[in-house]
Amino acid sequence: MEDFVESLTRGNPTEVKVLLASVALSLGCYQLAVIAVAYGKVRLGFLDAAPASTAHRAVGDTIALLLLCTGVMCLSVYGFEGAHAVFGTALLVMLAIKVSVVRRDFGLGRFLPALGISVFLLLCATWATSAGAFLT
Amino acid sequence: MSDERHTRQLVGSLLVAALIVAGAILIVTLQFGSTSTAEQEAREERLEQRLDAEEERREEQQDRREDGGER
Repeated sequence: MEDFVESLTRGNPTEVKVLLASVALSLGCYQLAVIAVAYGKVRLGFLDAAPASTAHRAVGDTIALLLLCTGVMCLSVYGFEGAHAVFGTALLVMLAIKVSVVRRDFGLGRFLPALGISVFLLLCATWATSAGAFLT
Repeated sequence: MSDERHTRQLVGSLLVAALIVAGAILIVTLQFGSTSTAEQEAREERLEQRLDAEEERREEQQDRREDGGER
């Protein structure tokens, strides 16, 4: 797997990982704004709640895919090491819980805002302990 | 709300997301610096030439010192 990731990234797995994580984080910030509109916390003349909610779902699927790819790359090249790995694992677990609640509800729909904020905070922590440190 | 309005707003929201992705890629790539192989090779070559020139200068100075000592 490590060889596959190395060849796929042309020997730059760290740079590609940092790029994917940074894109995921920037989209995560956008998600906060969009969901605020979807829940009616922020009212904008040019964006209604329904399309904001659909956009939130579509962008969320993209972020989930990005995070999954980044996690696989991270584990295959660097292994499970340090606080970054703990935050990353917690992030993927929390994301899986959130996606399950969105799709199946399980009577936990009222916890979606808390789950979403937890996913965002874990994404910030995971990014800061790897990509953030690499870029600064 | 009409379907057309919904679609327009949805497409707009996704376009903004695409712009954010493009911006993030641009900023992070600029932070990395050039990844062009040709540029990196040229930089390495310049560094090698500078090191060679320094080495030659050092040898010349040493030769001159030795010549001066012999006289």
